[in-house]
Amino acid sequence: MLIENMKMAFSAIRINKMRSFLTMLGIIIGIGSVISIVSIGDTMRTMFADLYKEVGLTQAYISIGYWLDDVRQSDYFTLDDLERVKEVFGDEIAYIDSQSYVSADALYGRAKVKFDFQGIDYNYQDVQPVNIIYGRYLNEGDVKGRRKNVVMDVKSALQLFGVENAVGRTFRTTIYGSTDEYTVVGVYKKDLSPFQAMMMGQSDGGSAFIPYTLLTWPNDYFYAMRVYAKDDVNLDDFFGRLKVFIGRLKMRDAEDYYMATAVEEMGMMDSMMGGLSAAVGGIAAISLLVGGIGIMNIMLVSVTERTREIGIRKSLGARTKDIMIQFLTESALLSACGGMIGILLGSGLVSAVGAVLGVTAVVRPSVVLLAVGFSALVGIFFGMYPASKAAKKDPIEALRYE
Amino acid sequence: MKEEQLAEELICLEDMAKIYDTGALKVLGLKRVNLTIRRGEFVAIMGQSGSGKSTLMNILGCLDRPSLGHYYLDGVDVAGMSSDELSLIRNKKIGFVFQSFNLISRMSALKNVELPMTYARISRKAREERAEELLKRVGLGKRIHHQPNELSGGQRQRVAIARALANNPPLLLADEPTGNLDTAASLEIMELFTKLHAEGTTVVLVTHEEEIAAYTRRIIRFRDGEIISDQPNEPHRPGIAAQVEKNTDFMEGEG
Ligand SMILES: Nc1ncnc2c1ncn2[C@@H]1O[C@H](COP(=O)(O)OP(=O)(O)OP(=O)(O)O)[C@@H](O)[C@H]1O
Ligand SMILES: [Mg+2]
Repeated sequence: MLIENMKMAFSAIRINKMRSFLTMLGIIIGIGSVISIVSIGDTMRTMFADLYKEVGLTQAYISIGYWLDDVRQSDYFTLDDLERVKEVFGDEIAYIDSQSYVSADALYGRAKVKFDFQGIDYNYQDVQPVNIIYGRYLNEGDVKGRRKNVVMDVKSALQLFGVENAVGRTFRTTIYGSTDEYTVVGVYKKDLSPFQAMMMGQSDGGSAFIPYTLLTWPNDYFYAMRVYAKDDVNLDDFFGRLKVFIGRLKMRDAEDYYMATAVEEMGMMDSMMGGLSAAVGGIAAISLLVGGIGIMNIMLVSVTERTREIGIRKSLGARTKDIMIQFLTESALLSACGGMIGILLGSGLVSAVGAVLGVTAVVRPSVVLLAVGFSALVGIFFGMYPASKAAKKDPIEALRYE
Repeated sequence: MKEEQLAEELICLEDMAKIYDTGALKVLGLKRVNLTIRRGEFVAIMGQSGSGKSTLMNILGCLDRPSLGHYYLDGVDVAGMSSDELSLIRNKKIGFVFQSFNLISRMSALKNVELPMTYARISRKAREERAEELLKRVGLGKRIHHQPNELSGGQRQRVAIARALANNPPLLLADEPTGNLDTAASLEIMELFTKLHAEGTTVVLVTHEEEIAAYTRRIIRFRDGEIISDQPNEPHRPGIAAQVEKNTDFMEGEG
């Protein structure tokens, strides 16, 4: 019976191909946009999650509140503060530094490349591992001894020296007004997706790690501490205590310090994406509603056109339920077909966007199933009224209909 | 004695009336009809246009309900039944043949014949077999996959008759079954009814033509919603029909 109904519904849809297609359009657009928005949102979310994993999910920055008017020099940090924090929270901290960067031109022969030097401690490799392909990473001696050694990105090495293995080579650069000779002790490689590169603001210039003790001097004040907690630490609790400790250390209200954690930022990103999805989802829902009304309209037309057929069927013994199911099957099928076309359209759009962003965007099977199911439901819901109108027809009047 | 009589009576109308309520004015379609038709009868209903023949057929066919009185079909009063109960009765007990054939277009002859069986929830295979057999019986064994618009009027009506017989109903009703057919096709259809009657089916048909009514064994005449005469008839088939039967043998010929 069900198969019979499906066959009948298919042939009814086929007979009016153009009309059926136009009717489906609302559903096609609705489902198509739902699919693409959900899938693009999904993809973006995983991309951001990857990005934050790259940055390190246990990471936090602490600095004096940017909203304060009465910031004194003593509110900034010194290396002593850093040492105190290390002493007190040594068991919970995986890594800590003064978050120092400097941009300067590196000179080698006639080559001149603008470099971003990131000041790091020797154990930065533990929290942000890179793949050392030549030489070695910075070691404790480099940092403590404030040696002018650097670990360079392989692409930058190629740019500056024309070779990948630049270990042992030296270049000149000017940091804080003093021009010195620096030695490459290692070369690393780090693969980033185009999206990650874009989001992490990688410049066209070179990048290299340099002992942070070269950028932050013993009596310097610096703006922010960068902390990575150990993996097994309860982040909320630890960062809370850290903030309180810093407040006391700097003789400030703990709340005057600003703390940005990667987890929070990611959560914000997530909820922003969620909000975006919800907004576009709302538009899609409206389009589904309009699509559903379109289906209802065409089904009403179809019921009127086929009044005589309904009369014949009833005269042969069709019950209210039989007629009802026949028309519901038709509207559900009409809508589900629209849904399937919408899925194809949406998936196409998603892979196009994925190609642009340089990531493989996937449409989850569960989303596809949900979309087809939902569009069929839309068809059933909006087919209800026309179908019951058909089913309630009086057989004699229906048979007399011209 | 009483029970036997009941079993014999397929149709029993008691003071049955049908009033059409068209808002301002009430039209009396049928007034106080009392009528009994026994199993195996072959009845013609005649009368001028507007005399209530179709009204009666619709009630006999359970497409409509009497306004007053009772209608016992097979001993069961159908007057108070719900529309779904009536559907069931139409499906199982009644085969209806219409003047305008009423086949569903875009469905093959076979599918049309299958329909009543579909609503009786008979399996697809059994349905197809029986539909094919029925189409053979009405002489359309070679036309089972044709669409209605690929068939002649007479062939369409034969499909309709095959469909009416699908669930093997005890009662076959036909409202002017030959009204849209030429003489030759009309006589073929009447031959078919005669054969079905001979096989035991109760046949009630409406006609305007004496020639058609002549095939039956009882003729009931209506005027203004009332029975004015009800007489037995000695069936006689016109010469052409005898000829049709003699030289073509169409019913077995094709199947
Ligand atoms: N649905 C209806 N609403 C109102 N009046 C109706 C309706 N159907 C039939 N009638 C009236 O009932 C009367 C009997 O009609 P019916 O159709 O039974 O006549 P008939 O004998 O079949 O005529 P014909 O030979 O032309 O088919 C007529 O006066 C007709 O106008
Ligand atoms: Mg009539």
